[in-house]
Formats: sequence, C-alpha cells, structure tokens
Amino acid sequence: MDRLKEILEELQPEVDYETCENLVDGRYLDSLTILSLISEIEDEFDVEIPTVEIIPANFNSVKNIWTLIEKMRED
Amino acid sequence: MILSSSSTTKGLFDVLTGGEPLSYFNRIYLFLFLPLVVLIYNLTPKRFRPVILIIASFICFFMMSNKLIVFLILSILSIYLSGRLMNKVDDKTEKALKKCKKTEKKVVKEKYKKKKKIILVLTILINVAFLFYFKYLNFFAGNANIILKWLNIKYSFQILHHLAPIGISFYTLEALSYIIDVYNSKIKAETNLLKVTLFLSFFPQIMEGPIARYSDTAESLYSGIKVTYKSFCFGYQRILYGLFKKLVIANRLNILVKIIFNEYMNYSGLSVALGVIGYTIMLYMEFSGTMDIVLGSGEMFGVKIPENFRQPFFSKNISEFWTRWHISLGLWFKDYIFYPVSLSKPMKNLTVKARKKLGNHFGPLISGTVALFTVWFLNGLWHGAGWTYLFFGMYHFFMILMGNIFEPLIIKICQKLHIDRKKKFYRVFQSVKMTILVFIGELFFRAPTMKNAFEMLSRIFTKISFKTVKNGELLSLGLDIHDYIVLILAIIFIFVIGLLKEKGKNIREDISNKDIFTRWILYYALIVIIIVFGAYGIGYEPVEPIYADF
Repeated sequence: MDRLKEILEELQPEVDYETCENLVDGRYLDSLTILSLISEIEDEFDVEIPTVEIIPANFNSVKNIWTLIEKMRED
Repeated sequence: MILSSSSTTKGLFDVLTGGEPLSYFNRIYLFLFLPLVVLIYNLTPKRFRPVILIIASFICFFMMSNKLIVFLILSILSIYLSGRLMNKVDDKTEKALKKCKKTEKKVVKEKYKKKKKIILVLTILINVAFLFYFKYLNFFAGNANIILKWLNIKYSFQILHHLAPIGISFYTLEALSYIIDVYNSKIKAETNLLKVTLFLSFFPQIMEGPIARYSDTAESLYSGIKVTYKSFCFGYQRILYGLFKKLVIANRLNILVKIIFNEYMNYSGLSVALGVIGYTIMLYMEFSGTMDIVLGSGEMFGVKIPENFRQPFFSKNISEFWTRWHISLGLWFKDYIFYPVSLSKPMKNLTVKARKKLGNHFGPLISGTVALFTVWFLNGLWHGAGWTYLFFGMYHFFMILMGNIFEPLIIKICQKLHIDRKKKFYRVFQSVKMTILVFIGELFFRAPTMKNAFEMLSRIFTKISFKTVKNGELLSLGLDIHDYIVLILAIIFIFVIGLLKEKGKNIREDISNKDIFTRWILYYALIVIIIVFGAYGIGYEPVEPIYADF
C-alpha cells in the first residue's frame, strides 16, 4: 500500500492520503488524474482495471483503491 | 431526398394551455395534472400504483408529442427485449462454462461475450438512429448541401420540417445507460416490462431529465409508496423554490436577454456584457428551477431522483463546473464515453508509450485528450445540431485541456510566490475566473450564429463605455429600476442559499424542524413573493424551456 501512496503523492501532492476518504467525491482526483492513476496501477501491480470498476466508491480512499487492486489480482 | 428537421412537438398540451410554453411551470401541470395524479395514485391499491404512474406518464407524453409516443414505446421495447436476450446469453454462458474444461473457459466466455456485444450494438444503433433522424439529419443534410453546391453538383437534400418526440435526447441516453449496464453485468436485466417502462417514461423526468440510471430510480418508482402529508408538503416546497427561480428571476431576465441578443449592434459593450451575464443566470434559474419541480414531483411519490445541480458557480475551474452543472449528463459522458475511450486497448497502449517519453503527467494526458475531445464533441452535438453548439463543446474541451496542461506550472508559480491555493482569496479568484469563462461559453451557446457570437464578444471589449450607466441605456433594455432591484435581491437570496448549502447546511431539514407556525409563515411568504414579484402576465414573456428542445 505504501507504493500506492507514493504514486498518489506524485500525481496529486496536495492531499493527505492517510485521512482523506472522499478523493473522488471531494474532487481531489479528477477524471484525468484517475486515468494517470489507473495507468500507473496497471503498470506497477500488473492488474487490469475494467471501466465498470471506475466508480467513486472504488477510488475515494487509499484503502478502497487497494481493495480494488487486490480484487483485480484475484480475478 | 426528403429529410426531417428537429424541433420538439406541441400537441394537446398546447391546445389546453392556449399556447403557453409547454413546461413543468405550466399551471395545467402544477395545479391540475400533478395533484390529480397524486389523488388517483393514493386512492389506488399499492400494487397498482406503478400502473397509475405509467398511465399518467403516457398521457403526459401523448399530450406533448401525440403519435410520436410510438418512438418512446419502441425505445422501451428495444432495451427491454435486448436485456432479456442478454439474460438468456448469460444463462447459456453459465451452462457452457459448467460443461467445458478449465482450459476452454476463456474461449467460451469470449464466444458468448461476442453474442452479447452484437445485441448491444444493434440496440444502440436502433436508439441512436431515432435520435439521429429527429435531431441531426437536417443539420448534416444542410451542410452536405453546402458542400454539394461548392462542388457544383446539382443535387440537394430536401429538408422537411418534422417534429421530434419530447425529451428524446434525455430518454435515449437513459435507455443506452440501461442496456450498457446490463451488458457490463452492472445490473441484471429486468424481467418486468412495466418496471422498464416506468423507468424510461416517468412523467416528471421525461422532458428535461435528469438522466437517471436504472439503479437510481427503478426500484423506488415501482414501490408504490403512498403520498403522505409530509412528502406532499416537501414536494411542493421544492416546487415553490423552482417557481421562484423561474418566475421572479428567469422570466424577468428573458426580456433583457432577448433585446440584447437580437439587437446587440445598437448597444454598448457594457449592455452586451450584461445581456450575456443575464443569459447565463437565466439559463441556470430556468434549468435548475425545472429540476426543483422535477425532483419535488418525484419526492411526492417517494422517488429520489438524482440531483442535477450542486452550486456550480462555486467551482474552482471549468472541469469542476461540469461536475456541478447538469451533473447527470456529465456523469453519463464520463461513464459511457470518457473512460471506455481512454481505457480502450489502443489508448492504453498509447498511454504506456507516451508515459515513457513524456512522463507521468503528460503521458496519460494524450489518451485523456482524445477521450475529452470525443466527450465534448458529442456534448456539443447533444445540445443541438448547430455550429454554435459544436463550438460550445470545443470551447469547453480547449479550456479543460489548457487547465490540465498548465496545472503543474500554476502549482509551481504559486509555490514560488508563496500563494496558498487553499486560502479563501485564491478560491474566490478561481471561481471568478471560472465564471467569466462560463459566461463566454454561454454566449456562443445562445448566439444565433457564430458570426453574431464573435461580434458580440468583440463588442464587449471594444465598445465598452461606462456612460451606459449614466445615460439610461440600462433602462432601455425592457427592465425598469424596480425590475433591477427585484432581480438583484432575488439573485442574492439564491446566492446565500447556495452558500449555506456549500457550507453543508441542510436548509430544508432546518425548515422542517421549525414549529408549524413558523414553517407556514415561510411557505406563505414565498408564495406571496412569487405572486407579487413574479414576472408573468402582460408585458412579460415566459422563458421557453430551453433544455426541453435538446
């Protein structure tokens, strides 16, 4: 999960990822940032994230993003 | 060749209302149709209530679009049957997977996925074909005629004036979202035809949206919840707020807007700027006011229709603005165009290559830009078949793209100048800058032609004269000093409510917690204000429901 936090820090440094639980709903991550994030995640964790999984709930916190990565790994 | 043109129909509703614009602000809808449906709905046993809503919706649609209701029915049937077919394919897939070897599973899945894809593509084509026929054929034919003439080819497409079913742009997108969600297994296809019918035809939403998803409203629409005293009062409370926006502000601004956009050559830059600002405010009040009526109507029947506006003028940039203005349309484009395009295989490959060469910020921006262009091209076209609408779309594409390209640079500049981007003054600066950009976008949106739009824009900057304030020009725009005072106070009122909402206050809940005496004083005060200060009757022309024509 630390690597995920690093990726997020690089993409959008102005957020406290430890506490933030509304990354999408609070507009900290916009569509283009999510695009970069997905590209990074797919590259780094060797998973494929389908478009149906791109919903705010899956990207609102580091924990949720990590859960999504693990789910994709299992698939 | 004979082609059709686009304009929504005015049927029986028009006859009943004596030519008043057909909209949810109409007296027939607010004081006869809606209360009558509520009464019949409540008197009907629970399990038949959804049928009452369907009948009411079909009557409403028929009153507005006559026999063109056939196209709504065809859309409903197409998505219902396609959904059922997809269900059958899913069942067959499961059976085949159980029988096949582990190594064959991928091939089996692919085989059945292809079948589902064929069903999906055909359904999309049917629904888009209706939309294209009614809305865009004329535009493309007109432009094709220009090219044919230019090429000296003596052939031209004949253009017929043909009316479109009301709300076709809205219900088509809803229909597509349903079938795409079924295809993606996000939702299970509905087996009850009545449920799909009600989802697509629910009368408060049919004319101007919001473009709801099946998972948002279908269940509550079909639940047959009784209209209670509380839900009735809450619904009409929201409707009153919408009426205030429309009657006190939008209708009043309509006079000024019409004069400026029709005769801008006779007015100074300041008056033209006022006309453009007035139009943007009018559009917001008209559309968000309509949404108040739509959501209020839904609330009565226990249906939580998704919000379509969230204080858009508090946004910090254009990109955020579109997540707060016409939210359901923005979400539709994001879910069904932006991500599928930007995360398609060719785009993903492009992103991987671009990231290696351009880095993490600019690399993904390339596929994002292609997707963004597609979104805004279609968004412009969705609003209307015309070059001004396409320009409107391209303008937003360009502004959002520039915002993204220069974001890292702006962050660096702010850091160097020790500007805290989270401070209030910087947020206000961002909102003001964003609002000015929105005004310019709306100028192109409203202007009759591109030439007019550019002339108006140039007039704002070249013919600016502050004498306008002194020489009485502002009073020659169809509004007197009292109108201006009412407008300013009403806009401040809406702004303050927006500010409180932005700060997380739930004003409606606060009002409902007050004692009955205070509550009814507030309701009556709002009713009296609407009656006394509403811009209706002789000397006023109500704003046509702008979004209903899209």
